[in-house]
Amino acid sequence: MPLILIGLNHRTAPVDVRERLNVPEAKMNECLASMMDIGADGACLISTCNRVEAIVSSPREDVIEGLVNWMASRAMTTRESIEKYLYILRHGDVVKHLFRVASGLDSMVVGEPQIAGQVKSAFMSSHSAQTLDPLLVQLFEQTMRVAKRVRTETGIGEHAVSVPYAAVELAKKIFGDLAGLRVLLLGAGEMSELTAEHLASQNVKQIFVANKTFERAEGLAAKFGGRAVRFERFEEQLVECDIVLASTGAPHYLITAEQVDRVLATRKSRTLFLIDLSVPRNIDPNVATIDGAYLYNIDDLQLVADANRELRHKRAVEAEQIVEREVDGFRKRLVAQDAVPTIVELQQRLEDIRAAELEKCLRKLGPVTAEQRSAIEQLTTQMVNKILHYPILQLKESSEEPQEREFLRRTIRKIFGLR
Amino acid sequence: MSISPNATLYIALAFYALGTIAALVSLFHSDKRLQRAGLYPMIAGFISHTIWIGTICTITKHPPLTNLPESASFVAWSVFAVELIVLAMYRVQAASFFVYPLVLILLTVTAVVREPFVQIDHSLHGRLFISHVLFATVGVAALLVGVAFTYLAIVQDRSLKSKTRGRLWEWIPSLQVCRKVAYRALASGFTIYTLGIITGVLWSYEKTAGQLMELRIKQIGAVVAWMLFAVVLQSVMTGLQRARRTIVVSACAIIATVVAFLGINHG
Repeated sequence: MPLILIGLNHRTAPVDVRERLNVPEAKMNECLASMMDIGADGACLISTCNRVEAIVSSPREDVIEGLVNWMASRAMTTRESIEKYLYILRHGDVVKHLFRVASGLDSMVVGEPQIAGQVKSAFMSSHSAQTLDPLLVQLFEQTMRVAKRVRTETGIGEHAVSVPYAAVELAKKIFGDLAGLRVLLLGAGEMSELTAEHLASQNVKQIFVANKTFERAEGLAAKFGGRAVRFERFEEQLVECDIVLASTGAPHYLITAEQVDRVLATRKSRTLFLIDLSVPRNIDPNVATIDGAYLYNIDDLQLVADANRELRHKRAVEAEQIVEREVDGFRKRLVAQDAVPTIVELQQRLEDIRAAELEKCLRKLGPVTAEQRSAIEQLTTQMVNKILHYPILQLKESSEEPQEREFLRRTIRKIFGLR
Repeated sequence: MSISPNATLYIALAFYALGTIAALVSLFHSDKRLQRAGLYPMIAGFISHTIWIGTICTITKHPPLTNLPESASFVAWSVFAVELIVLAMYRVQAASFFVYPLVLILLTVTAVVREPFVQIDHSLHGRLFISHVLFATVGVAALLVGVAFTYLAIVQDRSLKSKTRGRLWEWIPSLQVCRKVAYRALASGFTIYTLGIITGVLWSYEKTAGQLMELRIKQIGAVVAWMLFAVVLQSVMTGLQRARRTIVVSACAIIATVVAFLGINHG
């Protein structure tokens, strides 16, 4: 498994170093070509806002030297100043690292789902640039499978860890599918916009925006294909909307319990989800006691996000175990695959010897019955299989270190007289 | 004529037990895979159960509803069939921790009671009687699944209101889905059960030449259950605003249904 990975990430390097090394999509082919020029058999480059990692397959150790120099030149700095941020991994460690990265276990926010897509797109870029050798193809295909398995079996990315996304998650727990729902935004601040973005991505039917400054409401509404409404007339929208998000600087309650009671009475038992992101609060806390109304303020949502974060860390332990098992399985498969030509040659060599010796023996014996011939054949075949059992086992289960494997292969070839 | 419970019944029972254990263990281990895994033995049990019911029908030439064990078995079969329909339509398996044990208990009653299966009185053969027992059984099965989802909706509502996540938070689908399934199962179950009662009254009228209904424990239980299920349905339709009352009424409805079924004996 002659794999090498050199890279840096959010834990080892500050953002200014990461941004200098970051490779935009347009420059990807050029960079991959440079990596191949260093002497790699195959190359792939993962470049995200949190990490830049070069993965190459090459049995040559001097490739590391070349890659460090290449990274230093990309970061427009000296080799010495970039080296302290870099980590260098070899063979099985590369496999484990890549499986962990794609599963979101090495991410800033554990279990974040975007990284799997970013690893896949790095693989696709290298594939279209034709810089992948069979080993890297196998590695990346397995990486995508492991990432999927981790997500499906542990559900590590299922729970929201940010306040806006926690609001969306709660909305889904109330309404299920958010498509077809109407949302009212009270206030056009940053938090409002962020939460609205998450809601819009769930295909809500319409977003109404009410803000003290009507022009600002119009701007935000236009962004989501919604409709701006006059702030003093927002109550009319309460009747129509299913989700209300309040995030204004008003120092008093904008929505009272009486208002919600009145609105719900006209809605034929339709549920109303109210999210209050403002401090001081804009929605009367007594609203929470009304049947059919669910009120969450910023602290409630923060608690949900914190609980989810804790849950993700618990799931990460399970995910690490899956990764360990997958790394072991992948290593064994590769080693076994690598040993196949030698095993085939070995079996052929011994079969030739067996067949020749059997022929000689039968000539000496003279006429034998079919049963006798079959018994002799069976005896010799079993002997050959028994002799081959341990050498084949050793070849299949040898170390992942390419040099050690090569030594074992040579020794076996020498002992059995293979060319 | 006496037919002892055969192998397919015990196979069904074993598979149902396996599925129920998986569903209940999944509650304590927060493992959805276990819950999903529990479905497979339940389906295997359902197939075996169907074969058993089919065998009984073939031998006795009528639906297996002549006594308590037969009825318990058929209710169990119908309850799981409704659960499968809900699963296919809404992709929700959340009621498994209620439905699977219920199915297992009902089939255990069948296996343990071991009443001989009887050929029903020739006078009872007829479309009206068969319609009555089929409507009543399928109606009750849908109502029981509806009640399970009503409980889930109440639990989900409580969790969302109190902003705390109970053990069931992960398993229960959205509040809207729980309410929708509860409403549809209760509404359709109630309609079918009503048809069961009407056909029962008509059959009684036909059999007794003029008497609409005998006032025995079975009939009283069935009518009380019908009224209580109507209250539960009304509560779900108005948004489950009086949850505690709904829980009490639905529990009483289930007890009345059990009383009605215990009185079954058409032999």
